Amino acid sequence: MANVNVGQCSTLCDGQTEVRGAEHASGSDSESTSSTCSSSDYSDDLEPEWLDDIQKNGELFYLELSEGEEEAALAQANASQGVSTNHVRFSEKEAEIITEQNKKQRCGSRAKGEPALKRLARILRRKRRPSQRRGGGNDAGKDDSTLTPLASILKNQPSQRLGVSVQQQQLKEVCVYLNPKRLGGSSTPLSDSGGLLEALLGVIHRPSWTRGHGDSTFVRQEERLTVHGLIPNSPAIKCGQILIGDVLVAVDDVDVTSENIERVLSCIPGPTQVRLTLETEAPVDGSNAGGTSSTRKTKSSPPVSQLVRLLWGEDTAELQMSIGHIPHIAMYLSLQLDSASLQEEEEILYQYPVSEASTQLKGVRGIFLTLCDMLENVTGGRIISSSLLLGKHLVHVGYWKESNNLLVIGLPADRVPLLYLQTVVGDVVRTLKVMYGSLDRAFCKADHTPRLDHFFCLFFQQLIQPSHLRDTSLAPTLDVSGTLFLDGLPAVRWLTLPPEIKMEVDTVLSDFESSDFGEMSEDFFGLRRLYVILGSCLFYKSYLIANHLPKEDLLDVCLYCQHYCLLPLASEQRVGQLVIWREVFPQQRANGGGAVPGFSQPQGRHFLLIVGLRHFMQCVLLEAGGCASPAVGSPGPDCVYVDQVKATLLQLEALEAGIEERLNAPPAPCLSCADWFLPAATARDRLDSLASSSPVFSKLAGAVKGPTLGTRGRSLFGEKSRRSSPQRSLSDSGSEGQMDAGSGSSSSMAPGFSPHSTPDSARKLGGRRDSLGSGGSDGSGGSGGLFKIPRMKHPNPFYLGTLKKTLTERETEEMYNTMKLSSGAENTLFHYVLMESVQGIFIAPTHREVAQLSGSIHPQLIRNFHHCCLSIRAAFQQSLPPRGRRAADRPQGGGWGLGPVKEHGVLFQCKPENWTDQRKPAPTMTYWVIGRMLLEPVPQEFYVCFHDSVAEVPVEMAFRLSFGLAL
Amino acid sequence: MMLQDGSTQLLCLTASSGVPLFTRGASRQLPFSVIGSLNGVHMFGGGQGVVLSCCETEGGGKVVWRVFQESVMLIAVSGGGPGGAGSSSKEEEARLQRLLENVWNCMVLVLGQDELANMRNVERIKRDLRSCFSLIDQLLEERHEGFLGNLTHCADSLLPPNPTLVQEAVDGFAQAADSEFGCLLVHGRIAAATEKWWRLAPQEVVLLSVLMRSLSASGSASCDYPVFLPHGSPTVAHRLLRFHLLPGADVCVLCGPTPSLHRAESGLVGRFWSPLVETLRDCLAVGERCLPASISLRPDMLALLLINRETRRSVSCVRAPTNHPLSGPPLLSKARCWELLKLFYSFSMTRYFSQEETLCVSPEERTQKGNTEDFVLGFTHQPLQCYLVTEECKSFGLQTAQHQLFLVTPPSVPTFALRTAATQTLSDIVTATGF
Repeated sequence: MANVNVGQCSTLCDGQTEVRGAEHASGSDSESTSSTCSSSDYSDDLEPEWLDDIQKNGELFYLELSEGEEEAALAQANASQGVSTNHVRFSEKEAEIITEQNKKQRCGSRAKGEPALKRLARILRRKRRPSQRRGGGNDAGKDDSTLTPLASILKNQPSQRLGVSVQQQQLKEVCVYLNPKRLGGSSTPLSDSGGLLEALLGVIHRPSWTRGHGDSTFVRQEERLTVHGLIPNSPAIKCGQILIGDVLVAVDDVDVTSENIERVLSCIPGPTQVRLTLETEAPVDGSNAGGTSSTRKTKSSPPVSQLVRLLWGEDTAELQMSIGHIPHIAMYLSLQLDSASLQEEEEILYQYPVSEASTQLKGVRGIFLTLCDMLENVTGGRIISSSLLLGKHLVHVGYWKESNNLLVIGLPADRVPLLYLQTVVGDVVRTLKVMYGSLDRAFCKADHTPRLDHFFCLFFQQLIQPSHLRDTSLAPTLDVSGTLFLDGLPAVRWLTLPPEIKMEVDTVLSDFESSDFGEMSEDFFGLRRLYVILGSCLFYKSYLIANHLPKEDLLDVCLYCQHYCLLPLASEQRVGQLVIWREVFPQQRANGGGAVPGFSQPQGRHFLLIVGLRHFMQCVLLEAGGCASPAVGSPGPDCVYVDQVKATLLQLEALEAGIEERLNAPPAPCLSCADWFLPAATARDRLDSLASSSPVFSKLAGAVKGPTLGTRGRSLFGEKSRRSSPQRSLSDSGSEGQMDAGSGSSSSMAPGFSPHSTPDSARKLGGRRDSLGSGGSDGSGGSGGLFKIPRMKHPNPFYLGTLKKTLTERETEEMYNTMKLSSGAENTLFHYVLMESVQGIFIAPTHREVAQLSGSIHPQLIRNFHHCCLSIRAAFQQSLPPRGRRAADRPQGGGWGLGPVKEHGVLFQCKPENWTDQRKPAPTMTYWVIGRMLLEPVPQEFYVCFHDSVAEVPVEMAFRLSFGLAL
Repeated sequence: MMLQDGSTQLLCLTASSGVPLFTRGASRQLPFSVIGSLNGVHMFGGGQGVVLSCCETEGGGKVVWRVFQESVMLIAVSGGGPGGAGSSSKEEEARLQRLLENVWNCMVLVLGQDELANMRNVERIKRDLRSCFSLIDQLLEERHEGFLGNLTHCADSLLPPNPTLVQEAVDGFAQAADSEFGCLLVHGRIAAATEKWWRLAPQEVVLLSVLMRSLSASGSASCDYPVFLPHGSPTVAHRLLRFHLLPGADVCVLCGPTPSLHRAESGLVGRFWSPLVETLRDCLAVGERCLPASISLRPDMLALLLINRETRRSVSCVRAPTNHPLSGPPLLSKARCWELLKLFYSFSMTRYFSQEETLCVSPEERTQKGNTEDFVLGFTHQPLQCYLVTEECKSFGLQTAQHQLFLVTPPSVPTFALRTAATQTLSDIVTATGF
C-alpha cells in the first residue's frame, strides 16, 4: 500500500513534466506511423473491425462491448468506486517505454500487431496525470528518489507551460467510452473544423480565429480546448459531466491543446474508455486544495469492468499490484545444469509476477528443485505439492514436472485448499498444453512471455481476488469454493432446453458444421477447403446449450474459455462482438488418444474459432490438413468462417426468447430456500416480504407473460415445476390480476400455522395454488415423470380461471409429488450438482434460480455446499487410480488407505445470524450435503444438499435427476 | 525407491548444525546424502524467511519437517502406499505431525527440556537419546493395535464394571504414596486415575500410558523411573513408580523424593491392592472391549471409538469378526478394522470436526497450528455428522458438545440406518456408564 501512495504523490508533483516529455516522443514518432494508423481507422465498411488486431502469428483476441453495455458502464461510472486507475507506479524499467521487451509485457497479447503509434498512445495513457497541486514539497522530495530516471531527465527540460498556474481552476475527471470503429462505420465526413473531437467525443470547439480573434497561427499553437458545444447523442453529452465552458486539459493524462488533440484522439486504437481531465471555471478560493482532493476522491472508477479491461490487456500491472503482498508465483524452472553458460538465474525459464512476496518464493527455488529431484527417489513418486510458511502466509506450492523442466505454482492456502491444489495445477497445465502444445513450447519461446504474463495475470486474479473482476452488483455472492469446485469439475455447465428449441439449435449448428454451402463449400471457389469443421459448441450466458464436440475436445475448449473468463463475460455483459482465433492442440488428438484399431487421427493442425455475439458464444474447432488443405505458417482467421459463425449466431438469436424463457422458468427439480426452514419468520412475514420484494416478483411475472409473446412451447422442465415456491403462487395470481386474493388467502392462513410446520404447509399451499393456476394448462399433458415434456401450446394466463375448476384436488397432489427430487411430502431439496462424466457436462440450478430463492441463509448454505463438495470430490479422486505410470500395479480390493469411496455425506447445522433473543435458544436447521459417485450405468458424480427431515437415498435422487438428461 | 511402501522413517538432527542425532523406523536407513538434503532444504528456507512444513508426492508419500525449541529438527518421511490409492494427503500429514509432536514430547519426557534446548555436548545427547528409542519405536510402530491415544491425544481408557471400588483404591494408594497423581492401567488402558492425573496435559497422559506399557512389557515387577513432564514440568524430573499387580494390570504414581520404591512396594501395594484382586480380575475380563459386558453393542458394528471431549478420554474397541463361511464377501481382519477406524478418525478430524487443544497448548504449538491450513474454517455452517461409504465398509462419525463417536460397520448395513445406530450407541454407552 505504501507503494501506491508514493506513486500517487509522485503523480501529483511530477506528472506534468513527465507526460510532456513522453509527449515529445509521441510527436516525433507519429509522423512515421500515421499512415498505418489512418489506413486502419478509416477503412471502408467491408473490412471487419477486428482485422487490425490480428497478430503476427495469426492469433486474434478481439472483444468489443455492445452499446447497451457502454451506457450501463457510464451509468455505473458515477456510482461505483473501485480501484482507481492511476494508482499505478511503474518501475523504472517499464517507464523506458520504447524498448520492445517492456512494451510487450504491458500490453499483453495485443501488443504485437499494433502500429507503433497506438502503442505509444497506450503507454501515454498510463502516464501520470498532469497535476494541479504543486505544493507538498516534502512529498516531492521523498518521491524524487523513487522516480524513474526518465522522468528526472525530463524534468530538466524546459517546459513552456510550466509557469501556468492551475491552482485556481478546479479539475475534474470524466470517463467516457469511445469507439473509433463506429466512427468508420458511420462514414460521416469529418468536418474540417471539429475533426475527431466532434466526431468521436462530441465536443465542439471553435478555435478562436473563427470567432475573429487575433493571429490564427499563434492561437492554434497555444489555444486551450474550451468546450463550446456538445453534440447530441455523443459520448460527451451522455456522460453528463462535460459542461459547456469547461476546458479539456488532458486525455488519459496526456496534455492536449488544439494543436495535438486530433493526433491524440486518432491514437485511440479501438473501443476503449478514456479519462478526460477538464478544468471547470469555478471560482476558487483558499480552500481549493481540499476541494481538488475531494474531486479526486469522488473520481469515478473505470466504468468498464475490470474483467474486460484485463482481457483487453489493460490494467494488468495495476491489478497485479493490488495483490502484490499476497505471495503467489508461477515459475518454469530447468532441472538441467549447464555450467557452461554464465548467465544469472539461468534456471528460471519463466517467472511471473515480479512482486515483493514472489521474490521471496523465487529466492527459495532451490528448495523446489532439490525436492523435486530428490523425493522421487525416496518415496517413489513425483512431487505434487509442498506447504511453506512465509511470515504469516501459508502457501501451497504445486509442481508439474515435464521432461527436464519443472513448473512451480505457488498459491496462498486460504484461497486454494491443499485438497484441490492438484486439480488447479492440472487445469492450468492442460490449458497451456491446449494453447501451446506443450509446456516447453509455451515457456521456452521468448516471444510468448507477454502472452504468458497475461495468462498468469488472469489466473492469479481469478483465484486471489475474483471479486475485483466481476461487477459485484451482478454477481452478489461470489464464493471462491464454488468457483474452484465448479471450474475444477471435468465438465461444462449445461442448460437443458425444451426439445423444440434444442432441436432447432442443433439443426442450425449442424447446418453450419456441414459447411457445404456458400463460400464454405468447396464448389464455390473450386478449391480445396481451408478447414474442416470438427465440431462446435454453443454457449448461452455461460451455459452450454449444444455441443457437437467429443468430450475431451469440449473440455479443452471449455478450459480455454474458463481461463479467459469468457463464460461469465457473456452472461454478465452483452458482448458486442467477440472474435478469437488461435491455433490449439487438443489433448486427445495431440496424444493420438483415440487408439481405435484401424483408425488413425489425421495429422493436421487445429484452430479454435470463438465468436461471441451478445449472450451467445460459439466455439468452433477447425482442422487444417487431413481432408482440408494443409495450413502454412500461422494463418489468421478467415473472414468467411467468422462470418458464417456470426450468421449462425444471428440465426440463433431468434431462439433467444425461448431460451430466456427456460432460464426464467422456475427451478426444475423444485428447490427450497434454506430460510424457509428456519422458524424465525412467520409465514406472513415471509409472504409479505416476497410480495414486496419487487425484483423477484416482477421477474417472475415476466416469466409468466413470456409465453404469450409467441414463443413455442414451454421449457423442458416447464410447467411441471411451477409449484416450487410460494413466490410462484403469488406471481401467478398476480398476473391474473388476483393479487389481492393471493395475498389474502395466504395471510388468512398464516395465523393457523405452527412455526415448525410453516414451510411445509405454506409451500404445499403455494404448490397447489400454483398447479391450479397456470399449471392447469398442462392438464392435457397428463401426469408424467419429472422430465416428461408437457405438450401444451400457448398457455395464456388470462384463461386459467376456467381451467382451474377442471382439475381435481387429487390430480394436483399427484403431480405435485412427481416432480420433486426429494422424497416425502415436502420438498427438501436446496441445491444439487450432477456431473455426467461421459458427456463432460454437469447440471446445477441456474444462477437465476438461485437468485430467485434469495434469503439470507441460503447463499451461505450454497457456499458451504461448495466447500463441502471440494472435500467430497477430493475423497472420490483419491480413490481413483493416480495419473501416470503407477496405475497398473494398483492392488485389488483396497487394503490400504480408506479404499475407494462411493458415497460421502456431511450433516451441517446452521443458525440464523445475530440472534438477539436471549430467552430462547436460536433455532437451528440441519441439512445434509451428500456426494455420490456412480459408475453404473454411466459414470456420474452427484452432489446434493437437502434438509435433514427426510432420509434420502442419493442414488435414487441422482437417477431421478439424470433421467432424461441427454445431449 | 529408498523407502518401502507405507513405512515411516524418523530423522532427528540438531537444528543449528545439522548433525544427525538418530534415525528410527523403516528397515533400511535413508542414505546420508538424502538426510542431509532434507535437512538442507529446510535450513536454506529458514535463512530466506520461508519455513518449509510439509511435502507430498504422488502415491501418498509425505515428508514433514518441524523444529522444536530451535534446537532439534525432526523430519518424518513416509513412503506412499501400494499404488497410491490411499488415504489422502491431509490425513497422512495430520498423522505425521502428531508423530513428530509425540516424539519430541517423548524426548523431553526422558531427557528433560534443558538438555535438549541447549545442546552442549552432541555426543552425550546422542548417547542419552538411546534411552528413548524403545518409546519412539512404540510410537512409530503403528501396527500396535488397540491404542489410538497417539493419534487422538485422548487417553485410551477402559470402563471397569465397578468403577467406584477401583477409583477409591487408586485414590487411597496415591495418597498413601504422598502423591496426587496415581493411575491404574488394565491392558494398557487407564481404568482409573486420580483427579489430578486427568488434569495433566492430554499429551502427557497419553505419553505416560505409552511409557507404562513399554515398562510393563519389560516384565519387571516394579520400577522407579525419572520423568520430565513435557508441559507440566519440562525441567524438573519426577519419579514414576510402577508396580505390577496382575498380568495385564499395573498401577503407578508420580511422586517426589519420597517414598522409596522399596517402601512403597513392600508397605503400600499389598495393603491397598490385595483386597481388590477379584475386582481387578473383573476389570481384566473386560479385555479389549473396553466396555463392561452390561452394555450390548449392535452386532453389526466392526469398530467403535468414543471420545469424551471434556475429559479427553477415549474408549475404543474392535469386534472380532464372527466368521460366517456363507456370508458372502470376506470379512475384514481385526487389524484392518483398527486401521480403518484410525483412518476414518483422521479423515473426519482433518476435514470436519474441530480438535480442542486449547488446553495446555504452548505458544509454540499454537503457531505450529497455523502452519497447517484449516479446512474446517472454510465452512460457514458447523458440521455435526458425516459418513463415508467405501468398498469395504461404511463409517459414521458424529460430534456433540461433549462427545465424538466414530463407527465402522460392514457394507451390508443400510446407509440410512447408520445415523440411528450411531446415536443409539452413543446414548446407550453414556447412560450406562456416565462416560
